Amino acid sequence: MGTSYIYKRDASRLFIAVRDNGKRYKIYIPKDTNPVINGEEHDINFVEQEDFHYTFDWKGKRFHCELVSRDQNKAIIKVNGVEYKYSLESIFSLIRRGMINADANKIDENNIIAPMPGKIVDIFLAEGDLVNVGEPILTLEAMKMQNEITANCNGVIRKIKVNTGQSVMKDELLVEIQSIDV
Amino acid sequence: MKKRLLIANRSEIAIRIIRSAHKLGMLAVVFQSDREPDALYLKYADEIIPARDMNNEKSIFLDPERIVNLALEHNIDLLHPGYGFLSENPDFAQLCVDNGINFIGPSPALIRDMGLKTVAKSMAIKAGLPLVPGSDGPVKDAAAAKEYADKIGYPVILKASAGGGGRGMRIVEKADTIERNFKSASDEALAAFGNGDMFIEKYLQNPKHLEFQIMGDKHGHVIHLGERECSLQRKHQKIMEEAPSASVTPEMRAEMGEMAIRFAKSIGYYSAGTIEFIMDEDGSYFFMEMNTRIQVEHPVTEMITGVDLVDWQIKVALGEVLSVKQEDIKINGWAIEIRVNTEDPQNRFSPQTGFIDKIHFPKRDYIRIETGIQSGSVVTPYFDSMISKIIVHGTDRKDVIQKTLDALYEFSLVGLKTTVPFCRAVLQHPDFIDATYTTRWVDSVFTPDMLENEDDEMIGALAATILYASEYLQLSSDLPTYKQDALNVWVLNKRLNY
Repeated sequence: MGTSYIYKRDASRLFIAVRDNGKRYKIYIPKDTNPVINGEEHDINFVEQEDFHYTFDWKGKRFHCELVSRDQNKAIIKVNGVEYKYSLESIFSLIRRGMINADANKIDENNIIAPMPGKIVDIFLAEGDLVNVGEPILTLEAMKMQNEITANCNGVIRKIKVNTGQSVMKDELLVEIQSIDV
Repeated sequence: MKKRLLIANRSEIAIRIIRSAHKLGMLAVVFQSDREPDALYLKYADEIIPARDMNNEKSIFLDPERIVNLALEHNIDLLHPGYGFLSENPDFAQLCVDNGINFIGPSPALIRDMGLKTVAKSMAIKAGLPLVPGSDGPVKDAAAAKEYADKIGYPVILKASAGGGGRGMRIVEKADTIERNFKSASDEALAAFGNGDMFIEKYLQNPKHLEFQIMGDKHGHVIHLGERECSLQRKHQKIMEEAPSASVTPEMRAEMGEMAIRFAKSIGYYSAGTIEFIMDEDGSYFFMEMNTRIQVEHPVTEMITGVDLVDWQIKVALGEVLSVKQEDIKINGWAIEIRVNTEDPQNRFSPQTGFIDKIHFPKRDYIRIETGIQSGSVVTPYFDSMISKIIVHGTDRKDVIQKTLDALYEFSLVGLKTTVPFCRAVLQHPDFIDATYTTRWVDSVFTPDMLENEDDEMIGALAATILYASEYLQLSSDLPTYKQDALNVWVLNKRLNY
């Protein structure tokens, strides 16, 4: 498909850390490779790990991290002697919260509708998967042409409303995506 | 028989003095205070005197009579006071001398003179040292103050003779406010201290703190070992020092050094001493005071001159002739000292007490570590917050700044916050790199956000996430540890592999 997927497939491994100055870090911790932070894979390695003390190696430098305090989903981490405060969310808690303060229009904006009548020939992803903006979700065949329908935001696939082989009308709802771009 | 040297001090300086005592073939004796019975310095001593100061109001280090009594009981020959505590207390020095204990330092009379600022200043004037322009005595009224200030130039500082704690003190920027300020300060002083007398002095807005190290013997020889710059201060206490100073040219060094020697000789000074100068932005400098003890920051001078100051303090006390000549003193490279204080630079340098879970110092042949603590030590509220010093030597200023920065990134301490991140921020700040920093830097330039950087922030987010993730997935407690493969594997994988 030619797209390099930044976020992998398992939404349970994606977390959001927001610093008290408002800076957000989307952190994906894959199974076998390096962590992906804000869409970029970083060559960060563990050097040392004890209960609440980690040492990482990155860019040839050491980063000593120490948990200072933890309250619900808030954590203060001392990095190289300086404290930083974060609030943490799993992608699911974020979505849950997002739904509580749901802004109906906003969710609608990220719905994917059929741009033309046609037939669904292939679906690449499943509900609960993470997608990047521009990543193909399904193929819609119309007038003997295969059209890849791509994600319009970074997020999680909430609902896939169609099945392979199904014919759809123009403007029919195909996929609902919960955006994680804030 | 070996001479017995008692150290009336603790922590890193006790260990430093023990090293010199051993080098000179002496037995090092220390006190064990009940306020820190497991202190690191005890491990290095040949003999330990239990101080039993648990129920005393003052720790042993502040109790002259008990120190001298215990010293006599234990047949002490020499006593080194270190810095702080009783090191510049003339009565203590006198008490030692009266009891036949060789006090390592200058004569008690000189300690007393240098401790009285007005006496020290008049002795400095006699030796021809420049002083900050100011009125010799109280000025009579607002008009006289204005007349005087017009003469020496603004800004000026008005100080109550009886003042303290900033009360009765005013900094006056221009002529038209001096009379009003004089009146209000004088009234304030009168109300607070019952004395409205006011002094007037030139106010240096952005001064640098420079000090010359001298060493003299009991036979009239005095040499200087160049200067140190200690402009970086918080709460009027030094936090980082360098030697030499980028603001001192070789000509100035020769001139100021000669001045320091002249002063020391004129008062008959022996042992190690420091002559402090304050330098204005235009390069003019003025005598401030003289310290009669070994100073915290003495290692930077040792690093660039190769002279062991504590060795010489002891040898001079024994009456040895100072064999190092002025022409032997060559300044070799540059040195920086970092004071590791358990203070929180993100929170106005508030002191931190508690356990040092783990401490790691960088090790290089150009790095000298002086530490009073180790992993597992406790920092108590009874003593100073300075736990260690990291001293780095480089070929030149640029080189030593980089080496120090690297050393501070290698340093780690788990348990408490320290001034190390602050020093890291300073080393990267243009004001330090250009050597334009002054004693006002911390108050006027430093903000806590200078301690942060984006890499640390991102890694912190990752660490927070890993902690959160492992709990979120409720797997952390029942998994084995990964120490053995922690080096190359992304350890968390296992945690999340459910």
